[in-house]
Amino acid sequence: MTEKCILIIDDDESIQTVVEFGLKMTAGWEVISASSGNEGISRAQADHPDMILLDVMMPEMDGLATFRALQLNDQTRSIPVILLTAKAQASEKRLFNDTGVSGVIIKPFNALELAEQICNVLNWAESSN
Amino acid sequence: MRILVVEDDEILRTLLTQRLNAECYAIDAAKDGLEGWDYASTYEYDLLILDLVLPKLNGIALCQKLRHTGYTVPILMLSSQDTSTAKIMGLNAGADDYMVKPFDEPELISRIRALLRRGSSNPLPIVTCGPLSLNSSTYEVFYGEMALTLTAKEYVLLEMMMRDSQHVFSSDEILESLWSSEEFPVDATVRSHMRRLRKKLTAVGAPPDLIATSHGRGYYLKILDLSTTTIAPARETPDIAPPNLLIEPSKSNELMQQAQYLELLNDTWKKHRSTCLERVELIRSALDRLHSAQLTSPIQAEAYRAAHTLVGTLGTFGLHQAMQLARNLDQELHPDLYLEPNQAQSFRSFLNQLQQQIEQTLYIENLPTMFEDRAKAIEDPTSKPSPPEIKVMLVDDDPFFLETFPHHLKSYGFQVLTLNDPRQFWSVLEGNHPDVVILDIQMQQINGFELCQELRSVDPWQKIPVMFLSADSNAETQHKAFSVGADDYLCKPITAQSLSDRIHNRLQRIQSIVN
Repeated sequence: MTEKCILIIDDDESIQTVVEFGLKMTAGWEVISASSGNEGISRAQADHPDMILLDVMMPEMDGLATFRALQLNDQTRSIPVILLTAKAQASEKRLFNDTGVSGVIIKPFNALELAEQICNVLNWAESSN
Repeated sequence: MRILVVEDDEILRTLLTQRLNAECYAIDAAKDGLEGWDYASTYEYDLLILDLVLPKLNGIALCQKLRHTGYTVPILMLSSQDTSTAKIMGLNAGADDYMVKPFDEPELISRIRALLRRGSSNPLPIVTCGPLSLNSSTYEVFYGEMALTLTAKEYVLLEMMMRDSQHVFSSDEILESLWSSEEFPVDATVRSHMRRLRKKLTAVGAPPDLIATSHGRGYYLKILDLSTTTIAPARETPDIAPPNLLIEPSKSNELMQQAQYLELLNDTWKKHRSTCLERVELIRSALDRLHSAQLTSPIQAEAYRAAHTLVGTLGTFGLHQAMQLARNLDQELHPDLYLEPNQAQSFRSFLNQLQQQIEQTLYIENLPTMFEDRAKAIEDPTSKPSPPEIKVMLVDDDPFFLETFPHHLKSYGFQVLTLNDPRQFWSVLEGNHPDVVILDIQMQQINGFELCQELRSVDPWQKIPVMFLSADSNAETQHKAFSVGADDYLCKPITAQSLSDRIHNRLQRIQSIVN
């Protein structure tokens, strides 16, 4: 599978570390990180990742506000976004889906299965790594 | 000589770098296995020093990965694991040597020198080229009987050329070998060092062209007298054990990934456990304010966010009990909920348990592979005996309220049906047969009073408990609610606990009347 570049936007550094490990280890993807919505938007504009994993609950600019800002920007609008959230209710998942994101992944997740989950959500060919 | 040190312990990494710099080696340092891989696959090194336990990619895996690509540079593995099994694993993975931490510094340096010599074309500690001799054990350089005083860079430059005296070293090759990736020397730097080295050599009687220049190619040491020059023996084949092929590759990879993931989790937990405890303290501070009736909305929101973050973090580490406690707090501290000072004590109880769980978890012992099933088992009402759920129908046109509040109410054992379009009231009511109806008053199409009036006029719904839940605390509005048939009237904001109490009270009273 072609190498992907994934942007993780999460203010929790331990989640960034685990995501980076899981995606690099199981799929060989490059992972870039941002700790806030604003930083994430800048990195998305600069690096144009193949997809964005976006935490919902962040201080200052939360995930949904970040997603809206990404959608308003011509450079980032086309990048698929998957929300990461600890909210597990099906109704909440539906609410997030209604916003237009490509998918929702519920925390906690297994980092070793994350690449597979992303592939499933985005209909990417399965990682061969 | 250039060495890559891959060590996650910052103090040890710094000490090793300083110590090896003092031994005239150029050092690059990486803090985890993946960074080590990036460095090793990007730059040329003469030796790698790998810690066994590394985040992201452990020393064994990194070593195997390098050897699988045909990487022949000597590798010294450092580990605090003193067992034969660990040593065998390290050597089987392709390491050339294995040292146990804490190590004796002089022994480490000697082993490094030995490995570097083995990797060079001349494996002996003393190398001579005619009258020029260099002892890498003592760092002494003599031209005949004359001792030379060289700087660290001049020494390693000379040693490199003496150990491979038939080789022409380009500037790029010299820069690559003798300067770390964090330094930015240029060709002129090499020329400058060569000029100074030549000057010192000629000062002790060496011919000016002992270090010769091959134009367009580089520098080499001119052999003065072949009969007295130590001729390099053929390079030894490194004593590298073949990679462990006993386990079928895919299974091996899977196990390796899991082992590395567990290591990463442990390493990350070690770093972030204190951050989790800081979040606990932040929540505690908010609860203290709640207790003294000084909790403000921003502080409640901050505490909620901290609890919410803990849910994700603790779950990712597979700490299910702690995650569940954080989830309870996450639900109770929601910014839309009004909290009363007397709730602080029960929340503190959750928090104390949570703190205890975090403090007691020093290591992540198992991979959180089954957390989904376990989490489902916790949430699955069929997995534990419980009394029949009370079915609550919540009619409100505020989508956010309907998205959040039922979540809290469910934690009190209710089954919650939500409806934001009152026009579908009857179909949902008759299709689900709730035990209690909770109505908002102001809704766009049909208001709550109208619905209640209709309910009270239609059999069999005349006796179903109806409660109004509204932000309107006006006495007249409340009076009107009771006049159209309400059993209770509650004001927003309200806690799930208060609403739960009121529902239970209402149902018990009805039951007692029926009995």
